[in-house]
Amino acid sequence: MWWKTLSAFLLVYAIIAGMLIPLKPGIAYVSPQSAKSGQQISLQFHGYNTYYTAAPAENIRIWLQYDATQAVMAHDVTLLSDTTVSATFDLPSSLPRTTPSVMLNAIIDHPVDGVSLLPSAIEVRADTSATATTTWTAHPVDQLHIVKDVSFPYRNVIYETIRNTYYHVPMWFSLLIMFLASVVYSVRYLRSQNPADDRRAVAFTEVGLLFGIMGLITGMMWAHFAWGAAWSNDIKQLMTAVALLIYLAYFILRTSFDEPEKGARLAAVYNIFAFSSLIPLLYIVPRMFASLHPGATGSPAFGSQDLDNTMRLVFYPAILGFILLGTWIAQLRYRHLTIQDKVLGID
Amino acid sequence: MTSDPSSLTQTVLPLAFGKIFQKLMQSLQLFFVLLRKEFVIEFRQRYAISGIVLYVFSMVFVVYIASIKVQPQVWNILFWLIILFASINAVVKSFVQESGSRQLYYYQLINPTVLILSKIVYNTVLLLVLSILSYGAYSLVAGNPVKDLQLFGLVILLASVGFGIAFTFIASIAAKANNSATLMAILSFPVILPILLTLVRLSAIALRLIQDTAYKHDIVNLLAIDVILLTLTFLLFPFIWKD
Repeated sequence: MWWKTLSAFLLVYAIIAGMLIPLKPGIAYVSPQSAKSGQQISLQFHGYNTYYTAAPAENIRIWLQYDATQAVMAHDVTLLSDTTVSATFDLPSSLPRTTPSVMLNAIIDHPVDGVSLLPSAIEVRADTSATATTTWTAHPVDQLHIVKDVSFPYRNVIYETIRNTYYHVPMWFSLLIMFLASVVYSVRYLRSQNPADDRRAVAFTEVGLLFGIMGLITGMMWAHFAWGAAWSNDIKQLMTAVALLIYLAYFILRTSFDEPEKGARLAAVYNIFAFSSLIPLLYIVPRMFASLHPGATGSPAFGSQDLDNTMRLVFYPAILGFILLGTWIAQLRYRHLTIQDKVLGID
Repeated sequence: MTSDPSSLTQTVLPLAFGKIFQKLMQSLQLFFVLLRKEFVIEFRQRYAISGIVLYVFSMVFVVYIASIKVQPQVWNILFWLIILFASINAVVKSFVQESGSRQLYYYQLINPTVLILSKIVYNTVLLLVLSILSYGAYSLVAGNPVKDLQLFGLVILLASVGFGIAFTFIASIAAKANNSATLMAILSFPVILPILLTLVRLSAIALRLIQDTAYKHDIVNLLAIDVILLTLTFLLFPFIWKD
Protein backbone atom coordinates (compact mmCIF):
# COMPACT_ATOMS: atom_id res chain seq x y z
CA MET A 1 0.00 0.00 0.00
CA TRP A 2 1.17 3.51 -0.78
CA TRP A 3 1.04 4.79 2.80
CA LYS A 4 3.45 2.14 4.02
CA THR A 5 6.01 3.26 1.44
CA LEU A 6 5.32 6.84 2.45
CA SER A 7 5.84 5.98 6.11
CA ALA A 8 9.18 4.27 5.44
CA PHE A 9 10.27 7.13 3.21
CA LEU A 10 9.31 9.81 5.75
CA LEU A 11 11.06 8.04 8.61
CA VAL A 12 14.26 7.49 6.62
CA TYR A 13 14.13 11.16 5.65
CA ALA A 14 13.50 12.21 9.27
CA ILE A 15 16.41 10.13 10.54
CA ILE A 16 18.88 11.25 7.83
CA ALA A 17 17.87 14.92 7.84
CA GLY A 18 17.42 15.05 11.60
CA MET A 19 20.83 13.53 12.27
CA LEU A 20 22.94 15.10 9.51
CA ILE A 21 21.80 18.73 9.22
CA PRO A 22 24.32 20.76 11.26
CA LEU A 23 23.58 23.20 14.03
CA LYS A 24 23.94 26.93 13.42
CA PRO A 25 27.25 28.48 14.59
CA GLY A 26 27.07 29.43 18.24
CA ILE A 27 29.16 30.68 21.14
CA ALA A 28 29.98 27.92 23.63
CA TYR A 29 31.52 30.11 26.32
CA VAL A 30 33.49 33.29 26.96
CA SER A 31 36.58 33.52 29.16
CA PRO A 32 37.11 35.17 31.58
CA GLN A 33 33.50 35.22 32.80
CA SER A 34 33.62 38.28 35.03
CA ALA A 35 34.92 41.84 34.80
CA LYS A 36 34.74 45.24 36.51
CA SER A 37 33.19 48.36 35.07
CA GLY A 38 35.61 50.90 33.61
CA GLN A 39 38.12 48.15 32.87
CA GLN A 40 39.80 47.45 29.55
CA ILE A 41 39.46 43.71 29.16
CA SER A 42 40.47 41.18 26.55
CA LEU A 43 38.01 38.31 26.12
CA GLN A 44 38.30 35.01 24.32
CA PHE A 45 35.18 33.70 22.56
CA HIS A 46 34.92 29.96 21.98
CA GLY A 47 32.64 29.07 19.12
CA TYR A 48 30.78 25.90 18.20
CA ASN A 49 30.35 24.90 14.52
CA THR A 50 31.96 28.23 13.61
CA TYR A 51 34.32 29.14 10.77
CA TYR A 52 35.75 32.41 12.03
CA THR A 53 38.77 32.52 9.64
CA ALA A 54 36.45 32.58 6.63
CA ALA A 55 36.25 36.36 6.94
CA PRO A 56 38.95 38.97 7.73
CA ALA A 57 39.10 40.06 11.37
CA GLU A 58 38.10 43.67 10.64
CA ASN A 59 34.71 42.51 9.26
CA ILE A 60 33.83 40.62 12.44
CA ARG A 61 31.93 42.71 14.96
CA ILE A 62 31.52 41.64 18.59
CA TRP A 63 29.34 43.21 21.28
CA LEU A 64 28.71 42.79 24.96
CA GLN A 65 25.05 43.71 25.11
CA TYR A 66 22.75 44.70 27.96
CA ASP A 67 19.55 45.50 26.04
CA ALA A 68 18.41 46.74 22.65
CA THR A 69 20.11 50.14 22.95
CA GLN A 70 22.92 49.57 25.45
CA ALA A 71 25.99 47.64 24.33
CA VAL A 72 29.77 47.97 24.02
CA MET A 73 31.46 47.00 20.77
CA ALA A 74 34.88 45.38 20.67
CA HIS A 75 38.00 46.80 19.06
CA ASP A 76 41.10 44.79 18.19
CA VAL A 77 39.43 41.57 17.04
CA THR A 78 42.07 38.86 16.57
CA LEU A 79 41.39 35.52 14.92
CA LEU A 80 43.08 32.68 16.81
CA SER A 81 41.48 29.73 15.03
CA ASP A 82 38.21 28.68 13.42
CA THR A 83 36.60 28.31 16.81
CA THR A 84 38.36 30.97 18.91
CA VAL A 85 38.53 34.69 18.55
CA SER A 86 39.76 37.30 21.00
CA ALA A 87 38.60 40.89 21.33
CA THR A 88 39.23 43.87 23.59
CA PHE A 89 36.47 45.91 25.22
CA ASP A 90 36.57 49.28 26.98
CA LEU A 91 33.83 48.89 29.58
CA PRO A 92 32.10 52.13 30.67
CA SER A 93 32.64 53.20 34.27
CA SER A 94 28.98 52.94 35.33
CA LEU A 95 26.60 50.05 34.79
CA PRO A 96 23.43 50.41 32.64
CA ARG A 97 21.43 49.70 35.78
CA THR A 98 22.17 50.71 39.37
CA THR A 99 22.83 47.23 40.74
CA PRO A 100 26.05 45.73 42.12
CA SER A 101 26.48 43.73 38.91
CA VAL A 102 24.83 43.01 35.55
CA MET A 103 24.92 40.02 33.20
CA LEU A 104 25.80 40.86 29.60
CA ASN A 105 25.03 38.85 26.47
CA ALA A 106 27.76 38.18 23.93
CA ILE A 107 26.91 38.77 20.27
CA ILE A 108 29.22 37.94 17.39
CA ASP A 109 28.29 39.16 13.91
CA HIS A 110 30.26 37.32 11.24
CA PRO A 111 29.76 37.97 7.50
CA VAL A 112 29.86 34.25 6.64
CA ASP A 113 28.65 32.47 9.79
CA GLY A 114 25.96 35.02 10.52
CA VAL A 115 25.04 36.23 13.97
CA SER A 116 25.41 34.14 17.11
CA LEU A 117 24.44 34.96 20.68
CA LEU A 118 25.31 33.68 24.14
CA PRO A 119 22.88 34.89 26.85
CA SER A 120 24.43 35.96 30.19
CA ALA A 121 27.94 35.38 28.93
CA ILE A 122 29.81 37.61 31.37
CA GLU A 123 29.15 39.29 34.69
CA VAL A 124 30.28 42.89 35.13
CA ARG A 125 30.57 44.26 38.68
CA ALA A 126 30.33 47.96 39.49
CA ASP A 127 33.59 49.69 40.34
CA THR A 128 32.91 53.17 41.79
CA SER A 129 36.49 54.39 41.36
CA ALA A 130 36.50 53.74 37.61
CA THR A 131 37.10 56.66 35.25
CA ALA A 132 36.52 55.36 31.72
CA THR A 133 35.06 57.70 29.10
CA THR A 134 33.13 55.21 26.93
CA THR A 135 29.33 54.95 27.04
CA TRP A 136 26.83 52.10 26.68
CA THR A 137 24.91 53.71 23.85
CA ALA A 138 27.78 54.59 21.45
CA HIS A 139 27.61 51.42 19.33
CA PRO A 140 24.18 49.76 19.45
CA VAL A 141 23.79 46.34 17.88
CA ASP A 142 22.65 46.82 14.29
CA GLN A 143 23.11 45.75 10.67
CA LEU A 144 23.47 42.08 11.55
CA HIS A 145 24.17 39.44 8.94
CA ILE A 146 21.19 37.10 8.97
CA VAL A 147 22.35 33.99 7.12
CA LYS A 148 19.59 31.84 5.64
CA ASP A 149 20.78 28.26 5.34
CA VAL A 150 19.66 24.74 6.19
CA SER A 151 20.62 24.33 9.83
CA PHE A 152 19.06 23.76 13.23
CA PRO A 153 19.15 26.46 15.90
CA TYR A 154 22.02 26.43 18.38
CA ARG A 155 20.50 26.44 21.85
CA ASN A 156 22.40 26.52 25.11
CA VAL A 157 21.62 23.71 27.55
CA ILE A 158 20.35 21.31 24.87
CA TYR A 159 22.92 21.84 22.08
CA GLU A 160 22.97 18.84 19.70
CA THR A 161 20.13 17.08 21.51
CA ILE A 162 17.74 19.48 19.80
CA ARG A 163 17.52 16.66 17.23
CA ASN A 164 15.58 14.59 19.74
CA THR A 165 12.62 16.88 18.97
CA TYR A 166 11.99 14.78 15.84
CA TYR A 167 11.89 11.49 17.73
CA HIS A 168 10.60 12.32 21.23
CA VAL A 169 7.72 14.66 20.42
CA PRO A 170 6.16 12.61 17.56
CA MET A 171 5.82 9.70 20.01
CA TRP A 172 3.13 11.65 21.90
CA PHE A 173 1.30 12.65 18.74
CA SER A 174 1.33 9.02 17.60
CA LEU A 175 0.27 7.78 21.04
CA LEU A 176 -2.78 10.03 21.04
CA ILE A 177 -3.74 8.96 17.50
CA MET A 178 -3.31 5.25 18.36
CA PHE A 179 -5.42 5.53 21.52
CA LEU A 180 -8.02 7.54 19.62
CA ALA A 181 -8.20 4.84 16.93
CA SER A 182 -8.49 2.22 19.65
CA VAL A 183 -11.43 4.09 21.24
CA VAL A 184 -13.15 4.38 17.86
CA TYR A 185 -12.88 0.60 17.38
CA SER A 186 -14.05 -0.02 20.95
CA VAL A 187 -17.18 2.05 20.25
CA ARG A 188 -17.69 0.13 17.03
CA TYR A 189 -17.28 -3.14 18.90
CA LEU A 190 -19.96 -2.21 21.42
CA ARG A 191 -22.34 -1.43 18.56
CA SER A 192 -21.51 -4.37 16.30
CA GLN A 193 -20.29 -7.12 18.68
CA ASN A 194 -17.93 -8.05 15.84
CA PRO A 195 -14.74 -9.66 17.28
CA ALA A 196 -12.67 -8.12 14.47
CA ASP A 197 -13.35 -4.62 15.88
CA ASP A 198 -12.21 -5.76 19.31
CA ARG A 199 -8.97 -7.15 17.87
CA ARG A 200 -8.34 -3.84 16.08
CA ALA A 201 -8.91 -1.95 19.34
CA VAL A 202 -6.45 -4.24 21.14
CA ALA A 203 -3.84 -3.86 18.39
CA PHE A 204 -4.06 -0.06 18.49
CA THR A 205 -3.88 0.01 22.29
CA GLU A 206 -0.76 -2.15 22.27
CA VAL A 207 0.94 0.07 19.72
CA GLY A 208 -0.12 3.18 21.66
CA LEU A 209 1.44 1.69 24.78
CA LEU A 210 4.61 0.96 22.80
CA PHE A 211 4.77 4.59 21.68
CA GLY A 212 4.22 5.70 25.27
CA ILE A 213 7.15 3.59 26.49
CA MET A 214 9.36 4.79 23.63
CA GLY A 215 8.37 8.40 24.35
CA LEU A 216 9.21 7.92 28.01
CA ILE A 217 12.61 6.40 27.16
CA THR A 218 13.57 9.07 24.62
CA GLY A 219 12.36 11.71 27.08
CA MET A 220 14.45 10.22 29.89
CA MET A 221 17.56 10.17 27.69
CA TRP A 222 16.93 13.80 26.83
CA ALA A 223 16.27 14.71 30.46
CA HIS A 224 19.48 12.98 31.50
CA PHE A 225 21.38 15.37 29.24
CA ALA A 226 19.42 18.59 29.63
CA TRP A 227 18.05 18.44 33.18
CA GLY A 228 20.84 16.36 34.70
CA ALA A 229 18.68 13.43 35.75
CA ALA A 230 16.65 10.89 33.81
CA TRP A 231 13.70 11.13 36.20
CA SER A 232 13.02 14.38 38.01
CA ASN A 233 9.33 13.94 38.94
CA ASP A 234 8.32 16.47 36.33
CA ILE A 235 4.52 16.64 36.23
CA LYS A 236 4.42 15.45 32.63
CA GLN A 237 6.62 12.48 33.43
CA LEU A 238 4.31 11.56 36.29
CA MET A 239 1.13 11.99 34.28
CA THR A 240 2.58 9.90 31.45
CA ALA A 241 3.46 7.15 33.88
CA VAL A 242 -0.13 7.23 35.17
CA ALA A 243 -1.50 7.19 31.63
CA LEU A 244 0.54 4.07 30.91
CA LEU A 245 -0.75 2.50 34.14
CA ILE A 246 -4.32 3.05 32.91
CA TYR A 247 -3.61 1.06 29.77
CA LEU A 248 -1.74 -1.67 31.64
CA ALA A 249 -4.89 -1.97 33.77
CA TYR A 250 -6.82 -2.35 30.51
CA PHE A 251 -4.82 -5.47 29.65
CA ILE A 252 -5.23 -6.90 33.14
CA LEU A 253 -8.99 -6.31 32.91
CA ARG A 254 -9.15 -8.16 29.57
CA THR A 255 -7.59 -11.27 30.98
CA SER A 256 -9.60 -11.45 34.22
CA PHE A 257 -12.73 -12.98 32.69
CA ASP A 258 -13.47 -16.59 31.86
CA GLU A 259 -15.44 -15.78 28.73
CA PRO A 260 -13.48 -13.86 26.10
CA GLU A 261 -16.64 -12.13 24.85
CA LYS A 262 -17.38 -10.67 28.28
CA GLY A 263 -13.76 -9.56 28.69
CA ALA A 264 -13.82 -7.88 25.29
CA ARG A 265 -17.05 -6.03 26.06
CA LEU A 266 -15.99 -4.74 29.47
CA ALA A 267 -12.50 -3.88 28.21
CA ALA A 268 -14.10 -1.85 25.41
CA VAL A 269 -16.19 0.02 27.98
CA TYR A 270 -13.13 0.65 30.15
CA ASN A 271 -11.13 1.78 27.13
CA ILE A 272 -13.66 4.52 26.35
CA PHE A 273 -13.75 5.53 30.01
CA ALA A 274 -9.95 5.52 30.31
CA PHE A 275 -9.43 7.61 27.19
CA SER A 276 -11.82 10.23 28.52
CA SER A 277 -9.87 10.44 31.77
CA LEU A 278 -6.62 10.59 29.81
CA ILE A 279 -7.62 14.01 28.45
CA PRO A 280 -7.74 15.76 31.87
CA LEU A 281 -4.60 13.86 32.84
CA LEU A 282 -2.59 15.16 29.90
CA TYR A 283 -4.22 18.56 29.34
CA ILE A 284 -5.71 19.86 32.60
CA VAL A 285 -3.50 18.55 35.42
CA PRO A 286 -0.13 19.66 33.90
CA ARG A 287 -1.45 23.23 33.80
CA MET A 288 -1.77 23.28 37.57
CA PHE A 289 1.89 22.53 38.27
CA ALA A 290 5.24 23.94 37.21
CA SER A 291 7.13 21.83 34.69
CA LEU A 292 10.62 21.65 33.24
CA HIS A 293 9.22 21.08 29.77
CA PRO A 294 9.38 23.97 27.30
CA GLY A 295 6.28 26.14 27.16
CA ALA A 296 5.38 24.56 30.47
CA THR A 297 3.27 26.98 32.48
CA GLY A 298 -0.25 26.98 31.14
CA SER A 299 0.36 24.99 27.99
CA PRO A 300 0.54 21.26 27.39
CA ALA A 301 2.73 21.48 24.27
CA PHE A 302 5.67 23.63 23.38
CA GLY A 303 5.35 27.10 21.93
CA SER A 304 5.84 28.24 18.36
CA GLN A 305 9.17 29.86 19.22
CA ASP A 306 10.68 26.42 19.91
CA LEU A 307 10.70 25.49 16.23
CA ASP A 308 12.25 27.29 13.28
CA ASN A 309 11.48 26.70 9.63
CA THR A 310 14.25 24.15 9.08
CA MET A 311 13.06 22.19 12.09
CA ARG A 312 9.49 22.24 10.80
CA LEU A 313 10.74 20.66 7.56
CA VAL A 314 11.86 17.62 9.55
CA PHE A 315 9.39 17.73 12.46
CA TYR A 316 6.08 17.50 10.59
CA PRO A 317 7.19 14.68 8.24
CA ALA A 318 8.50 12.80 11.29
CA ILE A 319 5.10 13.06 13.02
CA LEU A 320 3.28 11.77 9.95
CA GLY A 321 5.88 9.03 9.45
CA PHE A 322 5.55 7.74 13.02
CA ILE A 323 1.73 7.82 12.91
CA LEU A 324 1.74 5.80 9.68
CA LEU A 325 4.33 3.40 11.12
CA GLY A 326 2.11 2.88 14.17
CA THR A 327 -0.87 2.15 11.96
CA TRP A 328 1.26 -0.31 10.02
CA ILE A 329 2.40 -2.15 13.17
CA ALA A 330 -1.19 -2.19 14.46
CA GLN A 331 -2.37 -3.73 11.20
CA LEU A 332 0.23 -6.51 11.44
CA ARG A 333 -0.68 -7.11 15.09
CA TYR A 334 -4.37 -7.26 14.14
CA ARG A 335 -3.64 -9.95 11.56
CA HIS A 336 -1.60 -11.85 14.11
CA LEU A 337 -4.48 -11.72 16.61
CA THR A 338 -6.94 -12.83 13.94
CA ILE A 339 -4.83 -15.89 13.13
CA GLN A 340 -4.46 -16.65 16.84
CA ASP A 341 -8.23 -16.54 17.33
CA LYS A 342 -8.79 -18.72 14.26
CA VAL A 343 -6.33 -21.32 15.53
CA LEU A 344 -7.99 -21.31 18.96
CA GLY A 345 -11.38 -21.58 17.26
CA ILE A 346 -12.79 -18.48 19.01
CA ASP A 347 -13.72 -16.74 15.80
CA MET B 1 -61.95 25.23 30.54
CA THR B 2 -63.25 25.60 26.96
CA SER B 3 -61.18 24.32 24.09
CA ASP B 4 -61.81 23.43 20.47
CA PRO B 5 -61.53 19.64 20.16
CA SER B 6 -60.90 19.80 16.39
CA SER B 7 -57.71 21.78 16.77
CA LEU B 8 -54.68 19.55 16.20
CA THR B 9 -52.22 21.62 18.21
CA GLN B 10 -54.43 21.62 21.24
CA THR B 11 -54.99 17.90 21.49
CA VAL B 12 -51.97 16.06 20.06
CA LEU B 13 -49.18 18.14 21.54
CA PRO B 14 -50.35 17.99 25.17
CA LEU B 15 -50.87 14.27 24.62
CA ALA B 16 -47.25 13.78 23.45
CA PHE B 17 -45.91 15.90 26.27
CA GLY B 18 -48.17 14.09 28.66
CA LYS B 19 -46.68 10.77 27.58
CA ILE B 20 -43.09 11.99 28.05
CA PHE B 21 -44.05 13.53 31.35
CA GLN B 22 -45.72 10.31 32.43
CA LYS B 23 -42.61 8.31 31.50
CA LEU B 24 -40.40 10.77 33.34
CA MET B 25 -42.57 10.53 36.41
CA GLN B 26 -42.44 6.73 36.22
CA SER B 27 -38.63 6.84 36.01
CA LEU B 28 -38.50 9.26 38.89
CA GLN B 29 -40.79 7.03 40.96
CA LEU B 30 -38.61 4.03 40.10
CA PHE B 31 -35.51 6.01 40.99
CA PHE B 32 -36.86 6.76 44.46
CA VAL B 33 -37.93 3.16 44.96
CA LEU B 34 -34.42 1.98 44.06
CA LEU B 35 -32.79 4.65 46.19
CA ARG B 36 -34.97 3.64 49.12
CA LYS B 37 -34.03 0.01 48.51
CA GLU B 38 -30.32 0.90 48.71
CA PHE B 39 -30.82 2.64 52.04
CA VAL B 40 -32.98 -0.18 53.39
CA ILE B 41 -30.38 -2.81 52.41
CA GLU B 42 -27.68 -0.70 54.03
CA PHE B 43 -29.71 -0.28 57.16
CA ARG B 44 -30.55 -3.97 57.46
CA GLN B 45 -27.01 -5.18 56.77
CA ARG B 46 -25.51 -2.79 59.24
CA TYR B 47 -22.20 -4.65 59.19
CA ALA B 48 -21.19 -2.97 55.92
CA ILE B 49 -21.51 0.64 57.02
CA SER B 50 -20.25 -0.06 60.54
CA GLY B 51 -17.27 -1.90 59.03
CA ILE B 52 -16.38 1.15 56.96
CA VAL B 53 -16.84 3.52 59.90
CA LEU B 54 -14.64 1.29 62.04
CA TYR B 55 -12.09 1.20 59.23
CA VAL B 56 -12.00 5.00 59.11
CA PHE B 57 -11.65 5.23 62.87
CA SER B 58 -8.80 2.73 62.96
CA MET B 59 -6.99 4.63 60.19
CA VAL B 60 -7.43 7.87 62.09
CA PHE B 61 -6.23 6.15 65.25
CA VAL B 62 -3.12 4.87 63.45
CA VAL B 63 -2.35 8.44 62.43
CA TYR B 64 -2.84 9.51 66.03
CA ILE B 65 -0.50 6.83 67.40
CA ALA B 66 2.13 7.30 64.70
CA SER B 67 2.45 11.06 65.16
CA ILE B 68 0.84 13.09 67.86
CA LYS B 69 1.47 16.45 66.22
CA VAL B 70 0.51 16.49 62.55
CA GLN B 71 1.74 19.33 60.36
CA PRO B 72 -1.01 20.93 58.19
CA GLN B 73 0.61 19.70 54.96
CA VAL B 74 0.73 16.13 56.21
CA TRP B 75 -2.75 16.53 57.69
CA ASN B 76 -4.08 17.44 54.25
CA ILE B 77 -2.50 14.50 52.43
CA LEU B 78 -3.33 11.95 55.12
CA PHE B 79 -6.93 13.13 55.23
CA TRP B 80 -7.41 12.58 51.52
CA LEU B 81 -5.70 9.20 51.65
CA ILE B 82 -8.07 8.09 54.41
CA ILE B 83 -11.06 9.35 52.41
CA LEU B 84 -9.78 7.69 49.23
CA PHE B 85 -9.35 4.22 50.69
CA ALA B 86 -12.53 4.43 52.77
CA SER B 87 -14.42 5.43 49.61
CA ILE B 88 -13.03 2.53 47.56
CA ASN B 89 -13.98 0.09 50.30
CA ALA B 90 -17.42 1.64 50.73
CA VAL B 91 -18.34 1.60 47.05
CA VAL B 92 -16.83 -1.73 45.98
CA LYS B 93 -19.64 -3.67 47.63
CA SER B 94 -22.45 -1.79 45.87
CA PHE B 95 -22.65 -4.32 43.02
CA VAL B 96 -21.29 -7.39 44.75
CA GLN B 97 -23.69 -7.45 47.69
CA GLU B 98 -26.69 -8.39 45.60
CA SER B 99 -26.79 -11.91 44.16
CA GLY B 100 -26.59 -12.74 40.47
CA SER B 101 -30.18 -13.93 40.31
CA ARG B 102 -31.45 -10.69 41.78
CA GLN B 103 -29.42 -8.78 39.18
CA LEU B 104 -31.19 -10.85 36.52
CA TYR B 105 -34.51 -9.87 38.07
CA TYR B 106 -33.59 -6.18 37.87
CA TYR B 107 -32.43 -6.68 34.31
CA GLN B 108 -35.92 -7.73 33.27
CA LEU B 109 -37.69 -4.91 35.07
CA ILE B 110 -35.62 -1.77 35.17
CA ASN B 111 -34.12 0.80 32.88
CA PRO B 112 -30.32 0.61 33.49
CA THR B 113 -29.91 4.40 33.55
CA VAL B 114 -32.29 4.71 36.49
CA LEU B 115 -30.52 1.88 38.31
CA ILE B 116 -27.01 3.38 37.95
CA LEU B 117 -28.34 6.83 38.84
CA SER B 118 -29.85 5.52 42.05
CA LYS B 119 -26.57 3.76 42.91
CA ILE B 120 -24.56 6.91 42.20
CA VAL B 121 -26.83 9.11 44.31
CA TYR B 122 -26.82 6.57 47.12
CA ASN B 123 -23.02 6.20 47.04
CA THR B 124 -22.56 9.98 46.93
CA VAL B 125 -24.70 10.39 50.04
CA LEU B 126 -22.86 7.50 51.72
CA LEU B 127 -19.46 9.02 50.90
CA LEU B 128 -20.59 12.45 52.08
CA VAL B 129 -21.66 11.03 55.45
CA LEU B 130 -18.44 9.03 55.63
CA SER B 131 -16.28 12.05 54.79
CA ILE B 132 -17.96 14.24 57.38
CA LEU B 133 -17.57 11.49 59.99
CA SER B 134 -13.89 11.05 59.07
CA TYR B 135 -13.33 14.81 59.22
CA GLY B 136 -14.87 14.92 62.69
CA ALA B 137 -12.86 11.97 63.99
CA TYR B 138 -9.69 13.10 62.31
CA SER B 139 -9.84 16.67 63.60
CA LEU B 140 -10.56 15.27 67.06
CA VAL B 141 -7.29 13.31 67.23
CA ALA B 142 -5.03 15.18 64.79
CA GLY B 143 -6.19 18.76 65.26
CA ASN B 144 -8.20 20.92 62.89
CA PRO B 145 -6.06 23.22 60.72
CA VAL B 146 -8.96 24.16 58.39
CA LYS B 147 -9.15 27.95 58.06
CA ASP B 148 -11.86 28.28 55.42
CA LEU B 149 -14.57 25.89 56.57
CA GLN B 150 -16.99 26.94 53.82
CA LEU B 151 -14.53 26.06 51.07
CA PHE B 152 -13.50 22.87 52.84
CA GLY B 153 -17.14 21.79 53.06
CA LEU B 154 -17.54 22.46 49.37
CA VAL B 155 -14.42 20.40 48.64
CA ILE B 156 -15.80 17.48 50.65
CA LEU B 157 -19.08 17.72 48.75
CA LEU B 158 -17.26 17.81 45.40
CA ALA B 159 -15.11 14.88 46.49
CA SER B 160 -18.17 12.80 47.39
CA VAL B 161 -19.79 13.53 44.03
CA GLY B 162 -16.62 12.82 42.03
CA PHE B 163 -15.69 9.67 43.93
CA GLY B 164 -19.32 8.57 43.93
CA ILE B 165 -19.60 8.71 40.15
CA ALA B 166 -16.18 7.29 39.31
CA PHE B 167 -16.11 4.49 41.88
CA THR B 168 -19.69 3.39 41.20
CA PHE B 169 -18.90 3.00 37.53
CA ILE B 170 -15.60 1.19 38.13
CA ALA B 171 -17.29 -1.06 40.72
CA SER B 172 -19.89 -2.06 38.14
CA ILE B 173 -17.05 -3.23 35.85
CA ALA B 174 -15.01 -4.85 38.59
CA ALA B 175 -18.03 -6.73 39.99
CA LYS B 176 -18.20 -8.74 36.76
CA ALA B 177 -14.63 -10.03 37.11
CA ASN B 178 -13.27 -12.84 39.23
CA ASN B 179 -10.86 -10.71 41.29
CA SER B 180 -13.04 -7.68 41.86
CA ALA B 181 -11.25 -6.19 44.88
CA THR B 182 -7.86 -6.09 43.12
CA LEU B 183 -9.38 -4.84 39.88
CA MET B 184 -11.24 -2.08 41.71
CA ALA B 185 -7.96 -0.62 42.98
CA ILE B 186 -6.12 -1.08 39.68
CA LEU B 187 -8.87 0.40 37.53
CA SER B 188 -9.92 3.28 39.73
CA PHE B 189 -6.56 4.66 40.86
CA PRO B 190 -5.45 6.17 37.53
CA VAL B 191 -8.96 7.38 36.68
CA ILE B 192 -9.41 9.11 40.03
CA LEU B 193 -6.00 10.81 40.01
CA PRO B 194 -6.97 14.09 38.26
CA ILE B 195 -9.90 14.46 40.68
CA LEU B 196 -7.74 13.63 43.69
CA LEU B 197 -4.95 16.06 42.75
CA THR B 198 -7.45 18.87 42.25
CA LEU B 199 -9.11 18.06 45.58
CA VAL B 200 -5.81 18.07 47.48
CA ARG B 201 -4.98 21.40 45.92
CA LEU B 202 -8.37 22.93 46.75
CA SER B 203 -8.25 21.70 50.32
CA ALA B 204 -4.72 23.08 50.66
CA ILE B 205 -6.25 26.43 49.73
CA ALA B 206 -8.91 25.91 52.40
CA LEU B 207 -6.10 25.20 54.88
CA ARG B 208 -4.34 28.39 53.70
CA LEU B 209 -1.26 26.34 52.79
CA ILE B 210 -1.16 27.96 49.38
CA GLN B 211 -2.56 31.28 48.26
CA ASP B 212 -4.65 31.16 45.13
CA THR B 213 -7.56 33.44 44.43
CA ALA B 214 -8.31 31.73 41.11
CA TYR B 215 -9.37 28.45 42.71
CA LYS B 216 -12.79 28.76 41.06
CA HIS B 217 -11.06 27.44 37.92
CA ASP B 218 -10.23 24.25 39.77
CA ILE B 219 -13.82 23.89 40.93
CA VAL B 220 -15.03 24.35 37.35
CA ASN B 221 -12.48 21.75 36.19
CA LEU B 222 -13.71 19.35 38.82
CA LEU B 223 -17.34 19.87 37.83
CA ALA B 224 -16.40 19.40 34.17
CA ILE B 225 -14.72 16.09 34.99
CA ASP B 226 -17.82 15.05 36.95
CA VAL B 227 -20.10 15.88 34.03
CA ILE B 228 -17.88 13.93 31.61
CA LEU B 229 -17.78 10.90 33.91
CA LEU B 230 -21.54 11.03 34.50
CA THR B 231 -22.28 11.23 30.78
CA LEU B 232 -19.95 8.32 30.08
CA THR B 233 -21.54 6.31 32.86
CA PHE B 234 -25.01 6.79 31.39
CA LEU B 235 -23.79 5.91 27.92
CA LEU B 236 -21.70 2.89 28.88
CA PHE B 237 -23.54 1.27 31.78
CA PRO B 238 -26.16 -0.43 29.54
CA PHE B 239 -23.27 -2.35 27.95
CA ILE B 240 -21.87 -3.43 31.29
CA TRP B 241 -24.83 -4.77 33.16
CA LYS B 242 -26.23 -7.31 30.72
CA ASP B 243 -24.63 -10.71 30.84
